[in-house]
Amino acid sequence: MSGHLLQSGLLPEGLEISFKLIPGIMVTAMLLLFLAVGYVFKVADTEGMWVAGRSIGNVENGMAIGANWMSAASYLGMAATIALFGFYGLAFVVGWSTGYFILLIFMAAQMRRFGKYTAPDFVGDRFNSDGARAMAAVTTFLIGFVYAIGQARGMGLVGLYIFGDIGIPGLSGYQSMVVLMMAITVGYLTLSGMLGATKNMTVQFVILIVAFLAGLYAVGYTQGYSTVLPQLEYGRLIGALSAEFSEPFTTESYYTWIATAFTLVVGTCGLPHVLVRFYTVESERTARWSTVWGLFFICLLYLSAPAFAAFGTDLYAKEIGAVYGDPGMSSAAGDVIVVLATQLAGLPEWFVGLVASGGIAAAIATTAGLFIAGSSAISHDIYKGLINPDATQRQQVLVGRLSIVALGVITTLAALDPAAPIAALVTYAFSLAGSVLFPMFFLGLWWENTNRQGALAGMSTGLVIWLVPMINEVVPSYGILAGAAGSDGVLSAALAQWLPAIGSALVAAPVVFVVTIAVSLVTDEPPLETKRMVRQCHSPEPMGQQQTAEEVVSGAETPGDD
Amino acid sequence: MKNSDAGDGSTADESTTESDPRPDGGVAPDDGVAYLDAEVNIFSPSTPFMRDHLRIIWSGFVAWLLIVFGPVSLTPIIPGVMTAPIPVIGFPLHYFLVGIGAPVGALLLSIWYARKRDALDEEYGISHETEPEPETEVATAADGGTAE
Repeated sequence: MSGHLLQSGLLPEGLEISFKLIPGIMVTAMLLLFLAVGYVFKVADTEGMWVAGRSIGNVENGMAIGANWMSAASYLGMAATIALFGFYGLAFVVGWSTGYFILLIFMAAQMRRFGKYTAPDFVGDRFNSDGARAMAAVTTFLIGFVYAIGQARGMGLVGLYIFGDIGIPGLSGYQSMVVLMMAITVGYLTLSGMLGATKNMTVQFVILIVAFLAGLYAVGYTQGYSTVLPQLEYGRLIGALSAEFSEPFTTESYYTWIATAFTLVVGTCGLPHVLVRFYTVESERTARWSTVWGLFFICLLYLSAPAFAAFGTDLYAKEIGAVYGDPGMSSAAGDVIVVLATQLAGLPEWFVGLVASGGIAAAIATTAGLFIAGSSAISHDIYKGLINPDATQRQQVLVGRLSIVALGVITTLAALDPAAPIAALVTYAFSLAGSVLFPMFFLGLWWENTNRQGALAGMSTGLVIWLVPMINEVVPSYGILAGAAGSDGVLSAALAQWLPAIGSALVAAPVVFVVTIAVSLVTDEPPLETKRMVRQCHSPEPMGQQQTAEEVVSGAETPGDD
Repeated sequence: MKNSDAGDGSTADESTTESDPRPDGGVAPDDGVAYLDAEVNIFSPSTPFMRDHLRIIWSGFVAWLLIVFGPVSLTPIIPGVMTAPIPVIGFPLHYFLVGIGAPVGALLLSIWYARKRDALDEEYGISHETEPEPETEVATAADGGTAE
C-alpha cells in the first residue's frame, strides 16, 4: 500500500493519500482568496508594509493575535503532542496560553508606549547600540526560520491528504508537498505587505477556528463521544483510553515538563511576530484589551485540542492499532491526528478537506507574520540600519522581499527531512526568543539602568546557551556531527536531560538576566535621554496614536543639549 | 525648567537624584508628578502611580504562578490525590487543573488585570479617548489607505 515511498520516512499511516478534487478546490479557493485580499491591500510604502498604519481595534487585533499565534503548531502539533506524549502535551497548552498573561501585565502596554516598529528597533534604540540591533535582527531572522520549519512540516503532511503525491522527481510525496506549499506561501507574501496580511489574518482566524471546531464537534457527535461541549465531555473518555494518555510524567520528567512550559511562556513574551501586533493598535488600552481578546481566541482552540487528541487516539486505537508502545503511532500520523480523526470518523471527503484546509490556513497565517518580521529585520535593521543608511523606500522593500524569498528557500530545505514533530520544532524558536529577546524586553522596560554593555553581554550569552543544546540534539539529525552522536542521536545524554533544546530557556533566561544586570552594574549608566524614554513607558499620561516614547522625550527638551 | 536638570550633560550621576520634588511646570498632570524624572526600577517604584500599578501586577503574577505551576507541582508530591478521577466529568484531577484550569485561569486573570488597569487609569484621570481631531476619521479612512 505505502511502498512507493522514496526517502523521507514521513508518511502518516492510515491517512488517505490521493488527489481529492473537492478538498483541492477548497484549499485553492482559500489560497486565492488570501491572495486576492492580499492584492487589494497591497501597499508599496514601507510604513504601510510593517505596521498597518496603526489603525486596528481591540477585537480585530485580538483575532490577528490569535491567527498569528495559531500556527500549524497549535492546530496540528498541539493535538499531536497530547496524543503522542500524553500529559506532557499539556505543557504546550499551558505554556502557549498562559504566557499571554505575563505579556499583558509586564509588557504589552509599555511596548506600545515605547512605540517602535520591530524588536530590533526596540533593542537598538533602548540600548543605543547598532551591535545590539544587529543581534536582535539576526535573532528575529533565526526565529522566523526555525519556527517556519515546523509550519512547513505541517503544510507538507496535511497537503498529502488533499493533493496526494504530486511526485516532483527525486523527492518523496511529503517533500514535494513541502516545496509546493512553501512556494505558494512565499508567492503570496512577496505580493502583499503587512496591511494585507493583517486583514487576511482576521479572515484566516475565522476559517481556522470554524474548521477546527466543526471538525471536533462532528467527530464527537457522530462517534457518540460528545454533544454540546466536547471540551469538557472528553473527560469521561479518558478512563477508557490507555493510561499513557493521562498518567503524569510517564514520557517526560517533571523537570522537562516545567522547562518546556517555562520556555514557552518566556518565548511568548519574546516573539517578534507577537510584539509587532502591539504597534498596530491605537492606544495602550487597546494594546491591553486586544491581548485579552487574543488570549480568549487562543483558548477557544487550546481547550479543544486535547479533546480532539482524545477522540483521535481512541479512533486510531480502534481502527489502526495500538497508539503507544512499539510500533505505536508515528510522529507523522500524530501530527495529522486532527485530520486523521475526522477521516477515521467516516465523515465526508469535503468535510475532512475543510479541516485540512484549516491546518494549511494556520500554517500560512503564521508563516506570513514570521517572514515579515524576519524580512523587516533584514531590510530595516541590517540593510538600512547598518549597510546602507541612505536606502530609499524602494530599495528597502526590495531587500525585504528578497529576504522573504531567502527565508522560504532555507526553510524548505530544512523541512525536507525535519528533525522533530511540529510542536518540538516550533519550541526551538521559543527557546531562542525566551533566551535572547525576552530578557532584553523585560529589563529594558523595567530597569532603566540596563545599558548597552549589559545588553550585548546578555544577548551573546543567550545565543550561546541556545546553540549548545541545538548542536547537541538537533544538528546531528541533519547528518552533521552524526558520527559523534550516540545511538539516540544526541551528543551528550546528560546535557540533553538538564539543558534540553525544547526547554533551554529555563536555564538560559535566568542566566541572561544575571549577566545583563551584573554587566550593567559595573559599567556606566545609560544616558539620561534613554532613561527618560523608559520612564515615558511607565508614565500614566496618555500618548498620541502615532507617538513614540522617543518623540515625547526629545520633544520635551528640544533645544537643550548638543 | 526641565532643561535645567536634564540637559546639562551630567548623565552618569543623574539617576541617583530620583524623585526630585521640585514642582516644575509644564508636564505635570493633575497629580503633579514629573514622570520623566522618576526612576524606573521594578523593585522600587518611584511614583504613586507606578506603586499602585506594580501592586496589581505582582498580585496577578503570584496568582498566575499558583494557577499555572501549582497543580503540576503538586502532582508528583501527592500523586494519589491529584490523579483521582473527578466525579461526573471523569477527568483525573491533575489533568483537569492543568489542561483546563490553567488556560481558563490565565484568561480570567487577564480580564481582571485589564479591568483593574482601567480603574487605575480612572483614578489617575487618564483618558485614552483620542481627541476628536483627525483621529476619528482614521478608523474608517485608514482601511482604504491614508494618503500620507
